[in-house]
Amino acid sequence: MAGWILIAVTALFVLWMILIYNGLITLRNEVKNAWCQIDVQLKRRHDLIPNLVSVVKGYMEFERDTLEKVVSARAKALSAAGLHDRAVAEDLLTLALGRLFAVVENYPLLKSNENVMQLQEELTSTENRISFARQLYNDLVANFRTKLEVFPDKIIAFLFAFGTAEYFSAEKSDRDLPAADISIRRK
Amino acid sequence: MPLTFIDIEKQKSWRISFLFSFLLLIYFCLSITLFQSYFILSALFSESGLMKLWNQPEYLLISLAFSLIVAIIHFRFSAFGAVKSVMHSIGASLPDPEDGIHKRLMNIMEEIHIVTGNRRHMKCMVIPSLSMNAVAAADLKGEAVIAITEGLLSRLTRPQLEAVVAHEAYHILSEDCLETTVATSLFGMYASAVEKLEDFGYEDFRGFHPGFLLFWILLKLSFILSMFISREREYRADAASVRMTRNPLAMAEALHLLSRNWTGVGMISSGLEMLCIVSPQTTDLDESEGWWADLMSTHPPIRKRIEILLRMAHASISEFEEKADSKTEIQDISDDGGTIYYALNAWHKWQGPYGITELSTLRWLSPLTWISVVPGRRVERASENGLINALFTNRLNQGKEELSRFTCPSCKHPLVTVSYEKTRAYRCSFCRGILVENDKVPRIIARREKKCPDRIKSLAKAVVTDNQRAVVIKKLKGTDIKTKPLMICSQCKNPMFRTFYSLAYMIEIDRCGVCGVTWFDPDELEMLQCIIENKITPDAEL
Repeated sequence: MAGWILIAVTALFVLWMILIYNGLITLRNEVKNAWCQIDVQLKRRHDLIPNLVSVVKGYMEFERDTLEKVVSARAKALSAAGLHDRAVAEDLLTLALGRLFAVVENYPLLKSNENVMQLQEELTSTENRISFARQLYNDLVANFRTKLEVFPDKIIAFLFAFGTAEYFSAEKSDRDLPAADISIRRK
Repeated sequence: MPLTFIDIEKQKSWRISFLFSFLLLIYFCLSITLFQSYFILSALFSESGLMKLWNQPEYLLISLAFSLIVAIIHFRFSAFGAVKSVMHSIGASLPDPEDGIHKRLMNIMEEIHIVTGNRRHMKCMVIPSLSMNAVAAADLKGEAVIAITEGLLSRLTRPQLEAVVAHEAYHILSEDCLETTVATSLFGMYASAVEKLEDFGYEDFRGFHPGFLLFWILLKLSFILSMFISREREYRADAASVRMTRNPLAMAEALHLLSRNWTGVGMISSGLEMLCIVSPQTTDLDESEGWWADLMSTHPPIRKRIEILLRMAHASISEFEEKADSKTEIQDISDDGGTIYYALNAWHKWQGPYGITELSTLRWLSPLTWISVVPGRRVERASENGLINALFTNRLNQGKEELSRFTCPSCKHPLVTVSYEKTRAYRCSFCRGILVENDKVPRIIARREKKCPDRIKSLAKAVVTDNQRAVVIKKLKGTDIKTKPLMICSQCKNPMFRTFYSLAYMIEIDRCGVCGVTWFDPDELEMLQCIIENKITPDAEL
């Protein structure tokens, strides 16, 4: 009798461990997926920028500086390694692009150009997608991290050596604030 | 308030199952009552003796079984194809990828899918109507659609459209939408049955039976239930939309636009109003607060929704300020004793800090720009701030325009005296609305110098037809057409009432009864003139 009880308890314990383990794996995969989504969108943006630059170039003789900044920011973002560095580089690229679009507003010829408008819409959309994908990713990471720390998941995570996940952000907090462009004003 | 989509997911599972079982219970009760009364009635007419039948337990069992079968069949058909039938009834179609504006909607939809982690596939559709509204629907088959009218699509800026789509997406993800869509299609049948009873039952008393009374009570109960849920979930959807787009002001602006414009009464039937972003038939109840209104109205007051959103905007600007403060020294900037300003530019990015002189040189600053003043940290329109408004007046003065004693009720801008159809009127140089003294209105509409453009003509026709429908529907339901106090008169500070110019010319205008002036939003005066000149009458089909 006692043997049966022991077997039943062990079986329940194993089942319980499997459930928690599976839960953690699911969460980790969700985080991974969310990261892929960010990656896809970042790549999309990097691909769109050369198009935009080539279209805009002809019109903006006096704004070489702004354009060059976008190009160099893109190059930096492409070469950045590590989550934090990439986040910083991508933020800089966002800023540079924002400035470029602000300048485009001053060129009526550009504003009426169908091609430019389409590219602008695509880039704005990509920009949003990046920040949205990032939002989701950071939410999931926060969720995953809490799970790793609470009891009893903590034990399972420790036993199977689950690594933690890193936030994708340039700063400590994951709050995506409206990008403040103070430097424009100071020019 | 759910913060992340993970929270929403967690929350919805128990809520939906609870609500569904409750709705189903009501539904079964309804069917049983219906059958009961039918059997009782037929027993009365056949004079075979009511009591004899009533006492047989088999009878009860049979009616129960029968109603169950009918209920299941009805449920199966109404809940599964609900989205298709709703979209068909409002004539929505898929967006055209060649069209720039439609493409934008498709892009936004894609973005929303990303932020929600692709948990649910949502289609977007366009309703070919000039009115301004958005509808979301979902059914048991797993189909979900967000439909937006052409009118709304063309009038909203990108951030505003994002906010609206995010709001609707929340309804779908939280399964609010599934509840309402199914409830709408489930109870639609009974609603029309009862409406008929109300029309004929009382006069012809033989058709009325106590059995129907219970049935009627149950029906009203089910309405109250679905409406109660609807009101608080609008707040939650607003909050979720802000959480997604991080832009409370865009949502507030979109709501403001929706509250002032024609939201498509005739097009969206009263059964579907729970699915809309703003109720197509605004009543006094919708704009009032208190427990009764909370219970009976499908949508919360827009005023209150905007207020909450502005408070959120305040929270987000203080975070921004912290960031900005660390980078610049405030003392350099402020030039009038410590007051500094932040302003929101056309791309919905906060800019600043500025001193008042710096602010006055900004070319993009308009009466409708959102600003945040420190100290105080209130988020408001530039025109609501006395000091900044004085700047605008100054600008107008430099333009050598003749300023009148009136100010614009919507942008608080001083109105410029203009000559309109050879008489005096006051135009807001910012929003292009026109203020006319009441005695001059008949003069203006009697005269016609310029020809009425086709755009105004078709708009007037659509608006008049829609307003006519609204009036007919309200009359059928026995409710009065009441005026809505939406703006404050700039002269006497009394509320201005939004009402029809007259029942013959159904264009909505804002009127101040104390000062005797009428405010026309852009196009409203032209539409009124056009109606009278071209003898435009509403389309009769109803």
